[in-house]
Amino acid sequence: MSFVDVLSGILQGLGVTLTVTALGMLYAVPFAFAAGITQHVSRGLAYGAITAVIEFWRSTSVIILLYGFYYTLPTAGLRLSAITVGSMVLGLHIGAYGSQAVRGALQAVDKGQSEAGRAIGLRDWQILLLIELPQALLAMVPTFINQFIQLVKGTALVSLVTLSDMTFRAKEISQLYYDPPKIYFALLVAYFILCYPATIAGRWIERRVGAGRRIVHDV
Amino acid sequence: MTFDVAYALSIVPKIASALGATIIVAFLSCVFASLLGFVLEVTRRSGVAMSYLMRFTIDFIRSTPLLVQLYFFYFVLPVYGIKLPALLIGVIAISIYYSGYLAEVFKAGIDGVDKGQFEGAKALGLTRLQGVLLVIAPQMLRNIAAPMGNYFIGIFKSTPYLAAIAVHEAFGAALDIASDTFRYTEPMLVVGAIFLGIALSLAWIVRRLEAYLAISTRH
Repeated sequence: MSFVDVLSGILQGLGVTLTVTALGMLYAVPFAFAAGITQHVSRGLAYGAITAVIEFWRSTSVIILLYGFYYTLPTAGLRLSAITVGSMVLGLHIGAYGSQAVRGALQAVDKGQSEAGRAIGLRDWQILLLIELPQALLAMVPTFINQFIQLVKGTALVSLVTLSDMTFRAKEISQLYYDPPKIYFALLVAYFILCYPATIAGRWIERRVGAGRRIVHDV
Repeated sequence: MTFDVAYALSIVPKIASALGATIIVAFLSCVFASLLGFVLEVTRRSGVAMSYLMRFTIDFIRSTPLLVQLYFFYFVLPVYGIKLPALLIGVIAISIYYSGYLAEVFKAGIDGVDKGQFEGAKALGLTRLQGVLLVIAPQMLRNIAAPMGNYFIGIFKSTPYLAAIAVHEAFGAALDIASDTFRYTEPMLVVGAIFLGIALSLAWIVRRLEAYLAISTRH
């Protein structure tokens, strides 16, 4: 098998990789905003509760979460497809990281902005929606792009719960044709092609949005 | 859902006994990832050609999944006659993966040191290596301690990936128990709780360190 044959064989799994990525984003983005905003506006018990939820998704190993939910949910009577569980776990894990970008960006907005909003008689939700969020959005973008890359890379894990993504395809091909160097190098190249544009875009935007901001990565 | 408390407690010692391997892998990976990341960043600064080559290397490492890098070394090295224990391959893969991120931390750290310090080192007649090790590194360490700590936590949380190449660390031990008994709920919950507990404790230490360094740098 030539390198191109191997690569095109691997790319047959691209659909699953992209599907899990897209579904994962559908979990990650709303969760990031909901959790980040809640953490920003809440105090006391509500703050403690949302922080606990975020820390659960953020601080547990994602691979343990994936296996845990995939194998445990059926015993609780919940039969979900591997693709649903995979994108949910990866999405919420990434979203928990994203929530810290949302919260951080909201907290970085000058306090005078919300005070000015109150002074002109806006309600709390109006201040949040019309004044704070629009100003904070740009600062979140670099972290969101980085987390998107983490999500794409994270989708390789769904090959462990029987989904035939690119990684799964590579393992299949290597069972048919014994040529690990070629097959696994092709797999690295496939992910690189997928993620590199985002890496470049992320770095470019990060330079423009402002240097010095620390970005939290995770796997 | 049936949760058997007695069974859950009975498997704790088995999983905890495999925690040794987890800690060895995490510790070695932290050391080697830091060294490699530092070498990558210092090399990147030693000329225009090197700058592009190392930039690309770092981007390549960061744009491909850890799981795939793990498979790459696990399946490809034996083809060239390099037979290493799976645990060591895991250390190599995690070290290389995180070196790409730590290089970026070192970059910010070195950039954060005043330019006059480099010039001062040169004026004193120190060699490039002496200047980096004796003058720059100590000042840099204070800036990078907290972000490095966060990546060390990331390394710890990545050790369960090694179960995918049959290393008997804590998560692998939990999976073995689960597949022997066909009960996933308890092993996953026990191992998840152990990892979450350790990760949260480490995060607390990093936060304390961050606060301490913030106080001691305030003038």
